[in-house]
Amino acid sequence: MIKRRHFLRSSAATLALPFLESVGFRKFATAAAPATPAKRMIFIAMGYGVTQETWFPDRQQTGRGFVLPPGLAPLARHKEDVTIVQGLSNRYSEDAHAGSTFWLSGANPHEGGAVFHNGISADQVAAAAFGKETRFASLQLNGSDKDLSGPGHGQGLSLAWDNRGKPIGGQNSPLAAFNRLFSAENISVENLRLRLAQKRSLLDTVLEEARDLQGRLAKNDLDKLDEYFQGIREIEVRLSKDEQWQSVPKPKSPLQAPPEGPLGREEIRLMYDLMAAALQTDSTRVITYRLPIANLLTSLGVKVAAHDMSHYNPGERMEASQRRDVANSELLAGLLDKLKGVPEANGSRLFDHTTVVFGSNISNVHNLTNCPTLITGGGASVKLGHHIVVSKDTPLCNVWLTLLRGSGLELERHGDSSGVVKELIA
Amino acid sequence: MIHPCFRILKIASFLAAGALIALPSRAQEPAAVIPAKHQALLKEHCISCHGAEKQKGKFRVDELPFTIADNLNAERWQKVLNALNSGEMPPEEEKQLPGGAKADFLDDLSKVMVEARRNLGDTKGVIAMRRLNQREYGNTLRDLLGVTMDVRELPNDKNSSGFDTAGSSLFMSGDQFEQYLELGRESVNEAFERNDRGALVKKERFEAEKGLLERVSKSLKKRIESRVAYNKWTRAVDKAAALPENKTATADLRKAGQGKSAHLFYHSWAEISGAPSPVDYGFIDAQDASFAASDGTWNRNVPYQSWFLSQAENQTGAWLTVGDNQVNSYFNFNVHGWPAGDYVVRVRAAASEKVLPERRFIEFGMGGGNPFSHESTRMVAGTLAEPQIIEFPVTLTAKGQRTFFVRERGTHDDDNQPNLKQNVGIQENGVGLDFAIWIDWAEVERLPAKLPAPGMRALAAVVGDVRSNIPPGELHKALEDFCLEAFRGQKASPGFLKRLVEVYADRRGHGENHRVALTETLALVLSSPRFLYLVEPSGAVANDGGSVSDPRTASKRQSGGACNLSALELASRLSYFLWSAPPDEALRELGASGALLKPEILSAQTTRLLDDPRSTGFLRPFLHQWLRMDRLDFFRFNNVLYPDFDMSTKEAARMEVYETFAYVLRENRSLRELLKSDYAVVNGLLAQYYKLVGVSGDQFQVVKLAVDSPRGGLLGMAAIHGMGSNGEHSSPIERGAWVLRKLLNDPPPPAPANVPQLSRLEGKLLTTRERLLAHQEQPQCASCHRKIDPIGFGLENFDAVGQWRDEDSYERSGVGRKKWPVEPAGAFHKGPAFGSYFELRDLIHARADGFSRGFSLALMQYALGRSIAFRDETLVGKMLSEAKSQDFALRSFIHTLVLSEEFRSK
Repeated sequence: MIKRRHFLRSSAATLALPFLESVGFRKFATAAAPATPAKRMIFIAMGYGVTQETWFPDRQQTGRGFVLPPGLAPLARHKEDVTIVQGLSNRYSEDAHAGSTFWLSGANPHEGGAVFHNGISADQVAAAAFGKETRFASLQLNGSDKDLSGPGHGQGLSLAWDNRGKPIGGQNSPLAAFNRLFSAENISVENLRLRLAQKRSLLDTVLEEARDLQGRLAKNDLDKLDEYFQGIREIEVRLSKDEQWQSVPKPKSPLQAPPEGPLGREEIRLMYDLMAAALQTDSTRVITYRLPIANLLTSLGVKVAAHDMSHYNPGERMEASQRRDVANSELLAGLLDKLKGVPEANGSRLFDHTTVVFGSNISNVHNLTNCPTLITGGGASVKLGHHIVVSKDTPLCNVWLTLLRGSGLELERHGDSSGVVKELIA
Repeated sequence: MIHPCFRILKIASFLAAGALIALPSRAQEPAAVIPAKHQALLKEHCISCHGAEKQKGKFRVDELPFTIADNLNAERWQKVLNALNSGEMPPEEEKQLPGGAKADFLDDLSKVMVEARRNLGDTKGVIAMRRLNQREYGNTLRDLLGVTMDVRELPNDKNSSGFDTAGSSLFMSGDQFEQYLELGRESVNEAFERNDRGALVKKERFEAEKGLLERVSKSLKKRIESRVAYNKWTRAVDKAAALPENKTATADLRKAGQGKSAHLFYHSWAEISGAPSPVDYGFIDAQDASFAASDGTWNRNVPYQSWFLSQAENQTGAWLTVGDNQVNSYFNFNVHGWPAGDYVVRVRAAASEKVLPERRFIEFGMGGGNPFSHESTRMVAGTLAEPQIIEFPVTLTAKGQRTFFVRERGTHDDDNQPNLKQNVGIQENGVGLDFAIWIDWAEVERLPAKLPAPGMRALAAVVGDVRSNIPPGELHKALEDFCLEAFRGQKASPGFLKRLVEVYADRRGHGENHRVALTETLALVLSSPRFLYLVEPSGAVANDGGSVSDPRTASKRQSGGACNLSALELASRLSYFLWSAPPDEALRELGASGALLKPEILSAQTTRLLDDPRSTGFLRPFLHQWLRMDRLDFFRFNNVLYPDFDMSTKEAARMEVYETFAYVLRENRSLRELLKSDYAVVNGLLAQYYKLVGVSGDQFQVVKLAVDSPRGGLLGMAAIHGMGSNGEHSSPIERGAWVLRKLLNDPPPPAPANVPQLSRLEGKLLTTRERLLAHQEQPQCASCHRKIDPIGFGLENFDAVGQWRDEDSYERSGVGRKKWPVEPAGAFHKGPAFGSYFELRDLIHARADGFSRGFSLALMQYALGRSIAFRDETLVGKMLSEAKSQDFALRSFIHTLVLSEEFRSK
């Protein structure tokens, strides 16, 4: 208990440090801080959707003059910065238990007659461009639920899917995320170089074996072996990156190492602290997060099981669903506080250059239309503080396209997008 | 190096002009066809807007073919299905589809869509190479190195739609490769540690009474002293509060404290001038004071603790208590620092004859991480006069736990369980439950190592110690042998071996010791594709450079696009099917010699593998996934409503499913017995739960049932009914859908998205039946629920934990409570009627064809690791007719499958 409080206290304190404190870790030691702060993106998925009746603003109240419904009430202090979009959906989605699998890709799960197919997720499109300059091209975070790919989020190892539609794994606890971002080893540059060389030779060795096999397999098998090659390639890319970064020490964490074990609400709070810290130290510019569901409910003292909660009806289950909404909004408000509290080199705030999306492919119960979509942060120059109702069947991917383009990417389309959401552009 | 499959394909296309048709004929190409009778419905309700003239939303229904044969049309029909399900079409102002016709159409369309997807996803019988899944990987390390590794860090590879053997869902990523590398190092280290300490035999005994009375007396003394000190302090605070100058402050505090615990008044002692601090009375603060001297401790714990201290049996052993960790709710002991290996833990225990038989069980577990878990539950048959020694075989891993515990059954499933239990005892005698379990001692013994595992045998010459210097030639030979074991009989490429030796040399050159360098080298073998994947090159080019035309390994193209497996590949496929583990020496030899290709030998090996204990590696994961037993862990069972369905009962109930199936498999009995049987397979614990007499002990055993028993077969099992509940109430929908999916092979289509929710009835006090009848009102719900619900109602005599009931009730706080008699009577949709659960069970039992068909499909999907398509109908038919001729003998399904062309090709 004492440990946790200490961590929180110290996190609040350090986040308030002037930006210059961390600028030294920003890029290669020699590179100067850029004049314009970089663009960042955060995607947070809640799996199951929201409570229809108490999360969505009144459809008649569009524009700035909308009233925050109870499910979003804890975001009141950020109301001017939060935009809600209604009417979006992924047209191919048909699995009412997969709120995250296709959320950022909009892919057709049966493309080409496949039993299961997915496409690249929006975060990875961003990572391919923004990730070149940071130690980690992107960060994939997951909640601690035992079966995170069970009902709620659906198949996948995180929100991220690579350019071949394969799942990308991530860190499932605040401690694991902290270690990846900040834990530094006491190792000399020569030793580091040696280690990288040795790692390369390990990869070369298994590749030797894989190539031998490659010559002996039929085409169907080669597709599978290709995944193996792809895996090795990922590590090679990572190694080149490590090489590039070997003379730059990992940034000093603005936070203490989080404790092991807190689940649910506290775990999310810690993850949000780490997300802010990861952006603050410019360790990465793209982050995704699959929120815990079951553990969040447990930590709120809710006795209703997650799946039951998602099938809410007036009564205990609906109350559980609403408490989940409120808790998520409170936590999100906390994240926004943090992003607003981190100054950039030019005097603006980290918040002003970051896009934060909070949502799900599932709207509520078994409904996949009107995917709940909350957008905040100034990274993509979209209208904030608005309630926007788009025409029915507008692809969710139109929003991803709008945000990616708004963040400076030149992009023709994403997923099944048919264009940008004009109402969203400031 | 052209793969022979391609080569033959070329020849085939060469001859295509006339000879292509000469390929063996298969079942007719599949077609998913919507019954033509629905044409009129579409014409009347859709075409006026979505026809040639209007084409609203650029969508035409008139052009949609009733045979779905391609993806484009599948998408279009999906759109129709979605629009009807969501109620979006027809628009509100238009004429609506009549309920019955709409339900029928939706029923047919959703079924045809499932069929169409199945056809479109057809892999033409080709089984692509696949990665070992999480459990196979763990088993493979076990059989190769003799180690037990915790592989839970790896993705569990379960997917929602099928089995964890489905190659298309078994991915690989950079992160995962790193995990394999690390797990490879760990398992090699573990194998070395076991190898080094192989002969070490070590034993230690822990007396339960050691230090016990002293510790418990001390705790009691402390509790009494705290109570005295607390009373002294609070009286002193009261005295100060009564002073005239504190009149206002006291009144305010009393007012604020109204309706709250009396303790809280004293927490504000500082606001009362002249009141003493709790610190002066030996407490840390007021919180500490009220906790240490709470009424709960005083009224519940102190009498129970005193009673405990008065027990003579605690001089020579120790009673276990129900709750109160300051007394003896756990007996803990540890062997910190002992090496990895196989151990046995013995506990000498007795059960009191004064307590109910349900309490004469102990739970045994390792570690202290989660108090609410354990490894096993055992019946204690020993008495105080004649205690019994109970043995628990355990494996200690290098990184794993060294602490053990024993506790009374059902006292630590969650936080409030001990209190719930103790309340019963306090109600009875004012003090607490009679002591049930007495422990004399526990003993931990390390067992001498078994024969070294094949991987370690291959390395025998080079294992050495950290200082060893191994000549490269010897190392090369050892690595070559090790790879042969690790790759299940396939050879490593020369280039790989050369590089392995270089890696080793490089590490040594950089000052690493022999063991570290060797570990690093071997970890690479365990992360290479020939280890991680079930590689089936079909001897395209024999590893030794041998000829492709070698009759043992040559493959031929078949009509479906599949290739035959070599005997060696077949050995792996067979063992991963029936053991989820690599082939043993005997099987591999038959693979290497080619003998396994002979049907009679393949059949004999199938029998041998099924008889081996390793076949639980097939049985349990298969059943778990096929029957969707994960549902048993979806919900926490409410232990206020169901105190008897504790963690131990739940585990026994889960095991009943496995053990019943294992019995049918072992004795090669009829699959139909899973639908209804005159016996149950239970252990002593579960027999008590089912109130079956004459069963004792922890072994699952066959018990003859009374004629009127609801048990016998899956429908009589607590686990199955628990899966069809939410931990509090039975769910007729889950149960009905499960019966349709698993027992009748008439699966309802997946729950459609965007169906409007029924909520108007919530908050009213209705019977389950009344509530669910609303499902029949809307056609899009009725299309499935008219089939699902009657079956679910027929099972309502079982409560959420599978106990029989004649009455059900529903309670909603603030509204009230309603009770009603269970009325199981109903009828299958467009089928026969039943008046009771027993009649329903008979009807299901009579439909064994559907059940065995569903079982065959699941078995094929699991064994082949691919989706099952229309073209597989021939094999399904063969499995069914063969099984039927043997009264559905369980092994017949497996034998027919193993001997099929489908199983022997890729």
